[in-house]
Amino acid sequence: MGYVKRKMTIVKAVTCPVCGSLCDDIELTIENGRIVKVKNGCAMCESKFLSHNSEHRVLKPLIRKNGKLVEVSLEEAVKRAAEILAEANYPILYGWSSTSCEATRVGLELAEEVGGVIDNTAVVCHGPSILSIQDIGISSCTLGQIRHRADLVVYWGSNPWSAHPRHIERYTAFSEGRFQRSAWKGYLTKIKASIAKKKIESALRRVFFRRKPSVPPQPRMELPPAMFKEGRKLIVIDVRKTKSAEIADYFMQVEPNKDYELLQAFRALIRDQEIDVDEVAGVPVGYLEEVADLMIRCGFGILFFGVGLTMSKGKLRNIDAALSLVRDLNMRTKFVIMPMRGHFNVAGANTVFTWQTGYPYAVDFSLGYPRYNPGETSVTDVLLRGESEASLIVASDPVANFPRKAAEHLVKNPLIVIDPHMSVTAQMADVVIPSAFVGIEASGTAYRMDHVPLPLKKVVDPPKGVLPDEEILRRILSEVRKLKRKMLVEAA
Amino acid sequence: MINLYPLKEFEFPIIAECINPDIFQDKTREDIEKLKIWEGNRQRKLEELFKVKATKTEDQAEETTITIRGDVSKVRKIGAKMTNGEIVIHGDVGMHLGEEMEGGTITVHGNVGGWAGSMMKGGTIEIHGNVGDYLGAPYRGSSRGMRGGKIIVYGNAGNEAGAYMRKGVIKIYGNTGQFAGLRMHNGTIYVQEDCEGRAGACMTGGKIVVGGFLESVLPTFTIESVKKNVKIEENERVEGPFYLFLGDLTENSKGKLYVLKEKNPHLSHYERLL
Repeated sequence: MGYVKRKMTIVKAVTCPVCGSLCDDIELTIENGRIVKVKNGCAMCESKFLSHNSEHRVLKPLIRKNGKLVEVSLEEAVKRAAEILAEANYPILYGWSSTSCEATRVGLELAEEVGGVIDNTAVVCHGPSILSIQDIGISSCTLGQIRHRADLVVYWGSNPWSAHPRHIERYTAFSEGRFQRSAWKGYLTKIKASIAKKKIESALRRVFFRRKPSVPPQPRMELPPAMFKEGRKLIVIDVRKTKSAEIADYFMQVEPNKDYELLQAFRALIRDQEIDVDEVAGVPVGYLEEVADLMIRCGFGILFFGVGLTMSKGKLRNIDAALSLVRDLNMRTKFVIMPMRGHFNVAGANTVFTWQTGYPYAVDFSLGYPRYNPGETSVTDVLLRGESEASLIVASDPVANFPRKAAEHLVKNPLIVIDPHMSVTAQMADVVIPSAFVGIEASGTAYRMDHVPLPLKKVVDPPKGVLPDEEILRRILSEVRKLKRKMLVEAA
Repeated sequence: MINLYPLKEFEFPIIAECINPDIFQDKTREDIEKLKIWEGNRQRKLEELFKVKATKTEDQAEETTITIRGDVSKVRKIGAKMTNGEIVIHGDVGMHLGEEMEGGTITVHGNVGGWAGSMMKGGTIEIHGNVGDYLGAPYRGSSRGMRGGKIIVYGNAGNEAGAYMRKGVIKIYGNTGQFAGLRMHNGTIYVQEDCEGRAGACMTGGKIVVGGFLESVLPTFTIESVKKNVKIEENERVEGPFYLFLGDLTENSKGKLYVLKEKNPHLSHYERLL
């Protein structure tokens, strides 16, 4: 009598499909086929899980007719997409980092079938890291090992507090490892003190209304005492004082675009060489010597690097130097290095690309076999030179974040988008096929930044008629094969 | 002598490994027209993209010359792996020009894309325009760069000219980008004008001569002395004085980096260490 029993289920150990940390301890509360509560996740995680059925979703396949996107059946959209791809000379297939490995695998088959260039979002983030790893090699490990053993954590050109919010808490400084204690209490005290200091300063400013802003503190000529404490230490090296830098034991501010010089100076110091100059990248050599000494004295060090290093001046050569630095450090102690991957499955896309073609990104199938040469076969460069004839974009929004000239060429030619959202790219597309959210409405596999594969769960059903990326791509692939066979028969 | 004229403005990348004096040798015009060439993902015949014209010459040496007139900036791998003969191009050329070439001459009256003379072992490339990145550098992941021959550029060069170089000479009469002579083992690189910086990063040997402004010398180089002049090739010396830096310390090596004193007053503070 007026009482409706609410069907509520709790799903535990869900993997979060947002960033490369792939936190797999999320608890979701599902009510009537909708996620209503997210536990353990960060703000980005919560927002993604809660908004899976927001108003920005595309629910019906669309095709551009007379300049307007109109609703069509899935069969028609798939057929149109297949026609575009089969007829194109030099099509590009881009995205892949925010979908499952299974979908990427079908995408690679499709790229081979249509003789296109297939690339993932590594091209605009950690592509340089991959190039350097191929040049130098990498000594890495899993995040679990770092959690339990690392006593020196360095973040270089990355701001995990904002970009990978639970990274510090789950894997590094704030995590409770078997052999390393969590350092969160110390940081809490530090943050409280810093907040109090800011409050006092602002109160003083208000009292002495016309008082000039306080003079910036002079750099100290020695390392802070926190660097000599027992246990875990956190160093952040960046061009600006980020939120992560504020909680670090030591923050080293490097002049913009001078990371290469700083890394090389560290390498020389670790090899006991003397440096002719007094200052490198705005940091006195005395400081560098002390930090280099700390790196050598640690038991297990880890260097995480982000896009601040891969995309600043020097690009892949910055990573060259970082990888070589870690190699040099391993002559004296145990040190590992890891890129902070952005998209939740960009490492997976690289892995699938590699086991299918031999190359991790920017693979060109135009000659019938895979070729790889970033700069020549990378999607951004192909677009900037205006060489492609059609594009398929899966789970990415290149129009919003590619260089303008590249985006202009992308939208000038036939464009197919497979995406759950009406993204900027989808708005410019000729064919839009809605897909289910991988990790929420479709299951699959994703690789964490340390190349550990984790299962993505299907927790709710997708909207009616909406298929996962993998299924849509399979349908396009079979349609392309039909068309190719027909073309062969006609040619014969 | 074979003349090639592009029939249209190319839109898609063209892989033209067949444009090579070794392949054209002893072939009639008709045979040459039937050679396979890739346009994007379609295989075509050479005649579909180029007009092929054979001209008789008195000179025996010119028999094997290929002349291309027109914009071939999308055409890649021209003269790849050639061992003799000559290619003359009047127009811009695409990537991988003369890749892994072992002999012969390529002359370009125009600009050239990236990876020109990549991994070359012998012969000469002369470029009367600008050239892209990775001049004479190896393929991704390889540590075997240029192993002989000569590259002369009269315009500017991009980043990483002469990376992983092992032997040979690169002369750039214009400016060059970052990382000239990265990880080079041996050979000579001469830059007449300015150099963007990080020259000779991780070099283990060889010689880099900068005759213009060099933004900064890497902290991992030490000053050795001031030299009056430097030898570039047999019978070719450049007058200085030059600062001589040795490095790269990170590789425990003594590669030589010469920087012209006159154009680089900001490096004068190194003199106190002499």
